[in-house]
Amino acid sequence: MKLSLFPGCIAKNMYASIEKSTRFVFDKLGVELVDHRYTCCPAPGVFRGYDIDTWLALGGRNLAEAEKDGLNVLTICNGCYGSLHGSNHILQENPEKREEINEVLEQVGKRYNGGVEVLHFADVLSTMHETILEQKELDLGLRLAVHYGCHYLRPSEHHESLNVENPHIVEDILELVGCEPVDFKNKLSCCGAGGGVWSGDEEVALSVLEEKLAFMSEGNPDAILNICPFCHLQFDQGQKKLQKFNIPVLHLNQVLGMAFGERPKKLAIHTHLVSTREIEKKVKGLKKKG
Amino acid sequence: MNPVEKAARDSNVEKCVQCGKCTAGCPSGRQSRLRTRTLVQMAYQGQDVTGLPELWDCTTCYNCAERCPKGVNTVDAIILLRNLAVQKGNFPRIHLSAIENLYNTGNGFPLSPEVAQIRAIIGLKKEPYDVSTAPEELEKVKKILDITGFLELVRGGTT
Repeated sequence: MKLSLFPGCIAKNMYASIEKSTRFVFDKLGVELVDHRYTCCPAPGVFRGYDIDTWLALGGRNLAEAEKDGLNVLTICNGCYGSLHGSNHILQENPEKREEINEVLEQVGKRYNGGVEVLHFADVLSTMHETILEQKELDLGLRLAVHYGCHYLRPSEHHESLNVENPHIVEDILELVGCEPVDFKNKLSCCGAGGGVWSGDEEVALSVLEEKLAFMSEGNPDAILNICPFCHLQFDQGQKKLQKFNIPVLHLNQVLGMAFGERPKKLAIHTHLVSTREIEKKVKGLKKKG
Repeated sequence: MNPVEKAARDSNVEKCVQCGKCTAGCPSGRQSRLRTRTLVQMAYQGQDVTGLPELWDCTTCYNCAERCPKGVNTVDAIILLRNLAVQKGNFPRIHLSAIENLYNTGNGFPLSPEVAQIRAIIGLKKEPYDVSTAPEELEKVKKILDITGFLELVRGGTT
């Protein structure tokens, strides 16, 4: 399988450890990741909230880059997924709008014909259980509070294959590598960062987060597990801003990277703000298979 | 029909029965001024809600739209209303830096020298392969934004 990697601003420019583990994991799984000259997705809350047509034009430009090489797009962030999947839906279903956007794109020598599929990495991983088991070198034994994040689950009409009320595709993947999901109240609720609220109204963003963290901490998990670098940033930075809680934060690809035998230091999880020392110690003490 | 009412109608708000499931399930509303039910009702009545600061408290989590028994696209309504607010110059100035970043680098969150250093240490390309490191492509991105009038929109609206 060959896919165009859409790393997104945060995994590229703020939490490079997530880009690192993504490249490591997908290489192990035999998926070739191709790079393209992308922009921001652009972010579905702020930029779509400011001007829908600008959001569509830049989204269309990104999709056109992948289409040129006949590749589908792999997103590793719910924001990028929500944004590109959403703009792709409009550009594919509404030929008039697509032509309107193409009139803009053609002025810079580009065009999008609607031929790309936007994938979320969790969905791709869910089709690769056997390969994950083959590549697994460690059963990690971590207890993880799973945070799905809004733009992976909703709007559900864009994600028909998923059980959005009671999803378990991430838990199923975690169980393959010996991790135990820890349930908590209001599990599918928002982290508080989306829609421009993270930058626009920190007090509200942190209040929403605090409620979520309180429920998560009741189960005393080893870490918070996410599938979105923006949620990841909110959990990691937010705990420092709140000066409350101290739960390590891991992206699913970081967990798989460790399960596939890479040293936590090499995946750079220690660059997170909330200390990951306990996780590193735990993983270091495990014995590899064979 | 005024633009606010049109935005509401485009999002199926006329189907709203004011049951309040949207407000009840809103994670932001528990902590902020946002009352989705009231907001969509006011918009449907054509009241100018574009100056209300709570328009910007929605995290776009889609709980409300997902739970609406009448299929009202509440989040899409809020996004359309934000677009109208921006056209009138009513938006949180704090977002301007992200917008400038998008124009100047192609990214909402640009690369810092510290993260560039981390990238190099962990074996990634120090500077990511994107438009920020390709001047010709970045010019094309700026041209797209110039054509859609994005910067003019937010700069023109600055009060």
